[in-house]
Amino acid sequence: MKTNDVILQTATKVVFFIIFLFSVHIFFVGHYAPGGGFVGGLLTTGAIVLLLLAFDLKTIQQILPFNFTIVTAIGLVLALSTAGASIFFNVPFFTHAYDDFNLPLFGKTSLHTAMFFDSGVYLVVVGSAITIIQSIGGDD
Amino acid sequence: MAFQILLNFFIAVVWMFMTSSLTPSTFIIGYIIGLLMIIMTRRYFRSRLYVWRIWSALKLTAIFLRELIMSNISVLMLVIKPDLSTMQPMFFALPTELEQDWEITLLSSLITLTPGTVVVHVSDDQRTLYIHAIDVDDVDEAIDSIKNTFEKAIMEVSRG
Repeated sequence: MKTNDVILQTATKVVFFIIFLFSVHIFFVGHYAPGGGFVGGLLTTGAIVLLLLAFDLKTIQQILPFNFTIVTAIGLVLALSTAGASIFFNVPFFTHAYDDFNLPLFGKTSLHTAMFFDSGVYLVVVGSAITIIQSIGGDD
Repeated sequence: MAFQILLNFFIAVVWMFMTSSLTPSTFIIGYIIGLLMIIMTRRYFRSRLYVWRIWSALKLTAIFLRELIMSNISVLMLVIKPDLSTMQPMFFALPTELEQDWEITLLSSLITLTPGTVVVHVSDDQRTLYIHAIDVDDVDEAIDSIKNTFEKAIMEVSRG
């Protein structure tokens, strides 16, 4: 039976942005507060899963036209190249570099190459989780 | 309505550039001046002045809070002193005039959040809400009370 999902769909359209924003926040505060690439990625996955529950698989593939296997691959390459780049500077594998920068708008900000590694983790988590869900859910 | 807010915002930014001070207090002064200008030129806009809509949204919030407290108390009385001989739980259909998705979502959230009534289903043509209530004496009275409070307040926010 086809039911009318107007309440679920309208609420999802609003709640999706709140969850997504919170996942980005969790991702960025990872260095100083609980959070980081893994939970940030899982929370983004959760937001996309909510869209999948409210709408159908085809619609979501249209609005997010990524091949999530490739997203996972990009994440792995990003993490590996961040770790491997330290070799070229004559320091042990996985040595990170950081410095303080004066950015416009943000003020004095400390930038750290661990961020790139975290972005890799984030992309791997989102890519693999969505691939699992889409390949299980896509079987008709 | 969105155009009026945008225009007001724009006037405030122009005011900030004219006085060449980019502080929040200058922005607020510019916003008030812009609001006065929009009130003066209100006949040029096709829709109602946006201030009234914000006012009716506040009124809707007040109505919701009042209903929330009142119905919480009545459900509390029902729980403390249940009178099973006269209690009459029932499902009833509420015909609604609301059309847009967000209006229906808002109405059903408000009905569900007030204790005693729960929206269980929205009909396919989105013209009828099916509601379950714990204790109803008169169906027409229950429908009228929802229509007169929530639906009227939501229509005031979205129309005209």
